[in-house]
Amino acid sequence: MRRDLACAALGLALAAGYYAAADALPRSLLADGVGADGVPKLLAAALAVLSVAIGARSLLDAPVAGGVAPGLARHLRALGVAVLGAAFVLLAPALGYPLALALLVLAAALYYGAALGWPLVISAIGAAAALWLVFARGLGVALPAGVFG
Amino acid sequence: MAELALAWKALTSGWTVPAAFLGVAWGIVGGALPGISPSIAMALLLPFTYGMEPVVAIVMLAAVYVGAEYGGSIPAILIRTPGTNAAAATVIDGFEMHRQGRGGEALGISLVSGLVGGLVGLAVLVLATGPLARFALAFTPPAYFALGVLGLSVIAGLSGGSLLKGLLAGILGFMIATIGTDPVSGVARFTFGSPDLLGGIRPIIVMVGLFAVTELMVQAIEPAWAKADARDARLRLPDWATWKRLVRPQAIGAAVGTFEGVTPGAGGTIAAFLSYNEAKRWSKHPEEFGKGSVEGVAAPECANNVVTGAALVPLLGLGIPGSNSAAILLGGFLLHGLAPGPMLFEKSPDVVYGLYAGLFVANVAMLLLGLVILTPCLWLVNRPKPYLMAFILALVVSGIYAMQASLFDVGLVLAAGVLGYGLRYLGIPQLPLVLGVVLGFMVESNYRRALVLSAGDHSIFVQDPISLGLLAAAAAVAALSLRGELGRARREGAARR
Repeated sequence: MRRDLACAALGLALAAGYYAAADALPRSLLADGVGADGVPKLLAAALAVLSVAIGARSLLDAPVAGGVAPGLARHLRALGVAVLGAAFVLLAPALGYPLALALLVLAAALYYGAALGWPLVISAIGAAAALWLVFARGLGVALPAGVFG
Repeated sequence: MAELALAWKALTSGWTVPAAFLGVAWGIVGGALPGISPSIAMALLLPFTYGMEPVVAIVMLAAVYVGAEYGGSIPAILIRTPGTNAAAATVIDGFEMHRQGRGGEALGISLVSGLVGGLVGLAVLVLATGPLARFALAFTPPAYFALGVLGLSVIAGLSGGSLLKGLLAGILGFMIATIGTDPVSGVARFTFGSPDLLGGIRPIIVMVGLFAVTELMVQAIEPAWAKADARDARLRLPDWATWKRLVRPQAIGAAVGTFEGVTPGAGGTIAAFLSYNEAKRWSKHPEEFGKGSVEGVAAPECANNVVTGAALVPLLGLGIPGSNSAAILLGGFLLHGLAPGPMLFEKSPDVVYGLYAGLFVANVAMLLLGLVILTPCLWLVNRPKPYLMAFILALVVSGIYAMQASLFDVGLVLAAGVLGYGLRYLGIPQLPLVLGVVLGFMVESNYRRALVLSAGDHSIFVQDPISLGLLAAAAAVAALSLRGELGRARREGAARR
């Protein structure tokens, strides 16, 4: 029930923010009858109605016994994966793609429970080299050069 | 007879068969890499075809398309990462089968269903290009709007037991699709001043984020499953009993794929989701869908491979490229001084019938290459979990970066992953959101274009016969899906009591 109420509250907040952002869109001389804000406002209204319905249903329904919800520490641990990715985004321009990717593989494997040692280091370098070959050499993608530039 | 002779001549001229094999191999690699769409894989090869014989070049490009549409299913099944947009529907049951230690079986079903779909698509292309091309030409903005609504009508069937939350997810997806430049007036919407958002958010970014990154996050806190597939580490083609179960979903996939394939702009993604929904509705075991159903893999895989042949109908018949991939193939034709359209059959029949023969070889090549590479792929994903997860994360960030050489896109895919994690926590289904992202732009832009044409008169949507038919079909699909979902919810509620 708490999750559905949270879902309803978040939905309502998003609907309000999205509606306000749509309402603030500039008017164009090229605008049609519907306008750039027409469909977004309709979506915001529909989102609000659905959120209210989900909230109302959760209040009316009898609470159902469920599993134990994961605690905050577990959520934070899950978010750590995204933080590792974000660190790659920040470091890649400075370090260059191959080095940043090798560090990402190394850090992610450690995060998932691998033991630090030569096999892991060699795997990280090998994975980064393989992906660099595929994307830079095979597909001709311009990857951040960083310290290699 | 003369046509057969031309096809045979193309096959025996030396380089057509190797070109088809090479094209399929390249396509499978491209399709399996998240972020590299079939059209990108084709575009990368286009400059290399300049010095080739026209028929060899066209066959190679078309073979890349065949390989890439199939290749997208491999990471979808093995690592919950759809390599292409069209493979998103395969994730649902394919990855579930893999988690249950049936990855080899899922890959086998995907392979043979892809082959069936590819051959059906080729038959459609060979036998029906003329009449179907005229049907494609009859599509107007109201009809495209109705086509998008038909795609959205399957949301009830993809809601996983909570219709309200399914609809909410669909609206969230639609909202994401409104980000970027307004399709009619050119106003920047919800970009917050970022030029990176002017072009909108590509559906593949949302899909890879929702499926792959979310799964990576969940795996960081859930018990290991890395060795779940250890007892099924080899590719397994379907046995006779399974084949019998696959006939119906493959037939549904073939029918839906043909319709969506010949319709410019529709593409394999809508075909895959629609066929999944219909296969579930017509199945004798609908309760297995979402829990590792063999039919849930066969229908979308067959449908999106039918599209590889059927999507060439408007290109060959009218010279209209109905998709990005068809546009690249059009570029291949033009590069060799050929103009697709009705006159191509008169002026260069050797290229047309050579292409037909080459597509047949490409589908056979897909089967043979699949038989060779899929067992090693299974071995690869049975490596220790920490190594596998780290490599998937590296593959995801590399593939998404490669789309537009943009680290901003990598940030977006991570954000989509966090969103997906939040949706899972709140019990909101992800598939309707994907559908909203894929179809939102199509629905809104064609709705507004139609109203511009009719000066604001909504009756245009029922005056156009194709639009009326599609809207009626959408209403029927939504009603039937809704009835099925409500019935299921009632049964589950009664069982709990």
